Amino acid sequence: MNQPGSGNDSDAHAFIVHRRDKSTKQSVLIGDKIANWSITLGGLLVIVAVITIMLFLVSVALPLATGGEVRQHSVYTLGTPKQVAWLTADEYTTLGLRITADGQVSAFHIPTGTFVTASDLEFAETATAVAGVVTREQVAFGFADGSVRFGTFNFEPGVITADNLPAGRQQLNESDSLAGITIYRELNTGDYRTITPAWTIGDAQQISEHPIIAIDYRVGGTVERPTRSFVTVDAAGVARVSRAVIQRNLMTGAEQVRLTSSTLPTLPEGTQVTRVLMASTADRVMIATRDGTLYRYDVRDFGAPVLAETTRAFDGAGDVEITSLAFLNSELAMVVGGSNGAVDVFFRLERPDANTTDGYQMVRARSHESQGSPIVAMSVSQRKKSLATLGADGSLWIRHSTSEQTLFKLQRESAADTEAAVMLMPRTDGVLLVDHNGNVDAWDFYYPHPETTLRAIFGKLWYEGYPEPTYTWQSSSGTDVFEPKYSLVPLIFGTLKATVYALMFAVPIALMGAIYTSEFLHRRVRATVKPVMEMMESLPTVVLGFIAALVLAPIIEEWIAAVILSFVSIPMGLMLGAFVWQTLPVTLSLKLGGIPKFFFMVASILLFGYVAFMLGPTFERALFYGDFKAWVNGDVGTGMPFLFLIGFPLSFMLVAWSFGRTFGHTWRNKLRDLSREQAGRIDFARWGVFVLAAALLSWAIAGLLTLAGYDPRGGVVDTYSQRNALVVGFVMGFAVIPNIYTLAEDALNSVPSHLRAASLAAGATPWQTAMWVILPVAASGVFSAVMIGMGRAVGETMIVVMAAGNTPVLDWNIFSGLRTLSANIAVELPEAVKDGTLYRTLFLAALTLFVLTFVINTLAELVRQRFRKRAFQL
Amino acid sequence: MAITAESTGKASLVEEPKRLGVRKYSADISAVGEPWLWGLGGALALGIILVAGFLTMIFWNGASTFWPKPIHLVTLTDGSVVAGEPTRSSVYRVSEAIREQLGETANAMIDEGDGFARRVLYRSANFDLYGDDFRWVSEYEVERIETPADFFLLERQEWGPFVGRILKVHFDGEEIAADKLSYGQLRRYQDQARDRFHEIRHIEQKDIGAVNYYIERQRLGLRKVQLRHGDDSPEYAAAAARTNARIAELEAEFAGYQARIAEIRERDRKDRFLLEEVGGRTKDQLMSEVVRLYPANDLSFGQKVGIYLSRWWEFLSSEPREANMEGGVLPAIFGTVAMTLIMVVIVAPFGVVTALYLREYAKQGKIVSIVRVSVNNLAGVPSIVFGVFGLGFFAYTMGVTIDQLFYPERLPSPTFGTGGILWASLTLALLTVPVVIVAAEEALSAVPRSMREGSLACGASKWQTIRRVVLPRAMPGIMTGLILAMARGAGEVAPLMLIGVVKLAPMLPIDTFPPFVHLERSFMHLGFHIYDVGFQSRNSEAGKPMVYVTTMLLLFLIVAMNSSAIYIRNRLKRKFAVGQF
Repeated sequence: MNQPGSGNDSDAHAFIVHRRDKSTKQSVLIGDKIANWSITLGGLLVIVAVITIMLFLVSVALPLATGGEVRQHSVYTLGTPKQVAWLTADEYTTLGLRITADGQVSAFHIPTGTFVTASDLEFAETATAVAGVVTREQVAFGFADGSVRFGTFNFEPGVITADNLPAGRQQLNESDSLAGITIYRELNTGDYRTITPAWTIGDAQQISEHPIIAIDYRVGGTVERPTRSFVTVDAAGVARVSRAVIQRNLMTGAEQVRLTSSTLPTLPEGTQVTRVLMASTADRVMIATRDGTLYRYDVRDFGAPVLAETTRAFDGAGDVEITSLAFLNSELAMVVGGSNGAVDVFFRLERPDANTTDGYQMVRARSHESQGSPIVAMSVSQRKKSLATLGADGSLWIRHSTSEQTLFKLQRESAADTEAAVMLMPRTDGVLLVDHNGNVDAWDFYYPHPETTLRAIFGKLWYEGYPEPTYTWQSSSGTDVFEPKYSLVPLIFGTLKATVYALMFAVPIALMGAIYTSEFLHRRVRATVKPVMEMMESLPTVVLGFIAALVLAPIIEEWIAAVILSFVSIPMGLMLGAFVWQTLPVTLSLKLGGIPKFFFMVASILLFGYVAFMLGPTFERALFYGDFKAWVNGDVGTGMPFLFLIGFPLSFMLVAWSFGRTFGHTWRNKLRDLSREQAGRIDFARWGVFVLAAALLSWAIAGLLTLAGYDPRGGVVDTYSQRNALVVGFVMGFAVIPNIYTLAEDALNSVPSHLRAASLAAGATPWQTAMWVILPVAASGVFSAVMIGMGRAVGETMIVVMAAGNTPVLDWNIFSGLRTLSANIAVELPEAVKDGTLYRTLFLAALTLFVLTFVINTLAELVRQRFRKRAFQL
Repeated sequence: MAITAESTGKASLVEEPKRLGVRKYSADISAVGEPWLWGLGGALALGIILVAGFLTMIFWNGASTFWPKPIHLVTLTDGSVVAGEPTRSSVYRVSEAIREQLGETANAMIDEGDGFARRVLYRSANFDLYGDDFRWVSEYEVERIETPADFFLLERQEWGPFVGRILKVHFDGEEIAADKLSYGQLRRYQDQARDRFHEIRHIEQKDIGAVNYYIERQRLGLRKVQLRHGDDSPEYAAAAARTNARIAELEAEFAGYQARIAEIRERDRKDRFLLEEVGGRTKDQLMSEVVRLYPANDLSFGQKVGIYLSRWWEFLSSEPREANMEGGVLPAIFGTVAMTLIMVVIVAPFGVVTALYLREYAKQGKIVSIVRVSVNNLAGVPSIVFGVFGLGFFAYTMGVTIDQLFYPERLPSPTFGTGGILWASLTLALLTVPVVIVAAEEALSAVPRSMREGSLACGASKWQTIRRVVLPRAMPGIMTGLILAMARGAGEVAPLMLIGVVKLAPMLPIDTFPPFVHLERSFMHLGFHIYDVGFQSRNSEAGKPMVYVTTMLLLFLIVAMNSSAIYIRNRLKRKFAVGQF
């Protein structure tokens, strides 16, 4: 420690022999301590980084699995108790409109129930049926006198600045205020949103002489020439489809309505119709009855509607009444609610065995959780696949159709036995229930990701319009009514497919190359090959992707037959080279054994690659009927040629193996008596015989399999697309070869050299040493090299983005494209809305990748550590 | 594949020689495993061929792109003419549907080629007239090919190149027939016009850019005062008056520049070329919009070299034009280098400290092995995951917080709350830190123990030893690691696509406006440039030359960095010669 006065050293120096201060300076000690702390902290930062990445990914993805919450439940009573015919509300759940059966419209503030305005539509009598379009703006009322009237109920939105606010507003709650019939809502930008209700009602159109008991209404056409289509059922049981074409005079604004009607084929006597439904295209009409039967009419020919199909909505006895019927917003799915509490979704699917006039059939695709009491009212979401179902026992369930989950189970405050109308808010963030006594239940809820459940992400779901449940990824589309499909399975599959094909190409080349480099290659060549390979490791993959997609893919497409041939010709060429080499005189082969031999190998590959290129068309003509793509498509020929090609190496192995088993010993003893050249020549002949035998065997097997009806097309080989798994496998393999190669070479190289020396000294050839001494010792290191290469292939992004065609399909076809998790993230994340379902699902994809590579890398690391220990022990 | 050696190895080891006579030299042919050796060697050879072929292809295409090609005037058998640069040729199979429409001679030619025909891709240019840049011409269609000397290639600011004749030159109201002018005279005219173009560009970018920048600054300053003091405060009123006065000044300046530009433009319109494409259609072309022109078939070797070099210079020193498909890549080079440097500044302390911890401070045990597993996992996690993390954590979490705290006046448009060069560099730093850690550890362990002990024995503290003795000796190794990290970082594209890279950055991340370094700006990147031009442009074929050259440049950067790292490392290895696995 510093002592007082130690600063006077220099003064003391003059007089006495310098007495050195033995203690360390304070500053040094402090510095040491600071360094100690900060370096330890810094070192642990790596752990923090990994944990942060993981936790952050989890924290973003987690809300996908968590549910939602009911934020507010307001209960109040509107002035006059009256039968509710129709409900509508604005986009932001501010203003509600209640239209009663006798034509009274009243507007109220939804959160508080404050009365805003009221008006009388002056109905001649009480409405007996009512229906509207999915946005709830256009409504049709049917009356007891057989007439129909159309109304429009909407809200004019606007945004004004604080300066333009009118004076004397009545404050409704913390954000909303009322002036006249306009509600002002404060936004967090400081501006105000205005909501003003507006409505119109049209004249009565006579449809029938009998009271209308069920109606449905759709609007199509253009703004200048809207068409209203509606279907009515009257008390006499007559169902009519009608079309009103409205011509609006642009000068005067006067409307001219032309109404045409067509009567549907009569229903059986005594049928009691409960609900009727029509599609926007006005070519489909559904009628539901009390005994649980669904009638589907084909109205494509407006003048002559046809009863296309009659089906039972529910299994079992005919005492289950269809009490509710609605299309989901896309009109591809129809929800049926029954008096037994069942909520089922039907798709109209094209089925070859359909017993219907148009080849379509209603198929029950989803069965939602039963509500346990009759479904008395239903409301579907305008933009999502959600729906609200009201039970006779007062339970109000909010469901999501795609994921088949029940989001909320609410219970109304008002008396359960009073009839009520229900409306799901436009943004699916609330539900409004008004009963005939004027009692209102209004819920505000928040359920950010109803589409995703574990099953939706990793399981099969039956999506709208699909013939069967599938694993599908399709996150976005042009239309509003699109059903997003968030299954990660095709992407995980694509990742595996790309990895498998890449490794099939990379692992043999990299490992064999590493063994050759480490054990046989001339030192001078090795000194250049190794650094070059290391440098290839940091090659930007965007470059490889560009080459793959814009250069290689068109070439491979044009020369696919030659490429396939080269898979055969290059190995055969190398074998040929080897057997020729064996026939060389020993002195010559020893002399040329080093670098020249390696160049002969290079030359052999080039030569036989060229041979494949030259023979490609001939080969294509001989085996694939002159057109590989047509063959692979299944247009021409049988699967035999391909089976022959696949079978050839296998047959060769079989032939060689069985020969080795039976005559191997004798054969070797025979050869041992001959000189090297003679033995080489005889061995060459044996190889030739083997090749022929293998070809014959393979041909025979392929023929037999084809006769048995087996065809590989449709499996691993199928329709060719330009950007495919073959190209990806080839180029991604090229990208991971350097990784595997360097790591494997390091592992082989670090096998203690005394093992090598001992083996060679005991008389083993270099080949035997490499195969039976070095490789077993290095096996775990080599394995971990493969694992690390695999980790890299799993996460590789740019190559697959550019060259894989980005089609999320589930098949092993080597000639079709794929989409991997990583490519999907790269393509879709830039467009994903922050904190939306897609955004979070992509984070989940990233998390999946993270976990996948984490497992692979940790495994590789453990194996590697084991190998290290073993190698040091030897 | 041969299987002969399946069990030979073991068998030949245990087997007793039958007769103890003179054994013939290495007669057991299967023990040598020649076919297997050829298989192993063939795999390596294949790998080398692939690497060599790949590099050759990039280099060949990249290096030859800028060489001026001749213009072929091809007369087809049906009488129509095509003029363009031959780009590449290929052999293809002629489909039956096409063959049916062909005449006898053509079919005979195809039959001769075994159903295949050769075709040449001509860059016919003139996108504004043809709606296409390229035209395939099959060999059997060709009547004759000429190389007329009066055909010019004009590279233009917009619409890509033009191939055709120059009919007339309008210069300052004068009309001159082009055949009266030599190539040198044409170039002089064009040079003068081009200078005006550059002048306008300069005023627009530098002067008007500065004025806009200052106006925006004033506006933001006012908004800041408004947020701090409120609308009705005297401070705001004072600031508003000041700001408005300044803005009025700046706008006056702006109007001055506008007038100057209008004046130059007025003069500019008087200099035009009247061009004629091969089919006879004419095109009136502003001279200043022509970047370069040359009579492709009438060039001496020296002129060709000159054009080649000038194109390279344009590529390296100017901004891209024509949707990045032509012009230069200076902003991309700048962005890549800036991002890599910022990344190195971040990654160096992080990596070195971790390596120091692992080598010098930590006691071997659980924690160290957890750190090692973490390092290995950081190295193995796919780069796109880092991009996702960077976007979600850096930009959307940290950046949004920074915006709320420090840049409230710019909201709701984000400053740091979106991708930018800082976040990209941080993300890549995270990605490359394992490279630095591994290299630094290796370097630290290569410092002989005796040196440490000597220092400690002299009374130095641990930190003093590390700072004065260990780190200086390990420095080359650490540098190697940093260079390798830079090489890795410069080549990464996938994470950058999510966080801050754009196809065309309006402003560089470093410029002459204070605070000079704008870490929040998005930037351009060579790797992304390749992706963008190759895949997002209107015609990938037209973008290909650009992609090749950019690829070559990027590869050159990375290979240079890598080889210097390897060189330093090898020298180190020789110096210390410590075996390490």
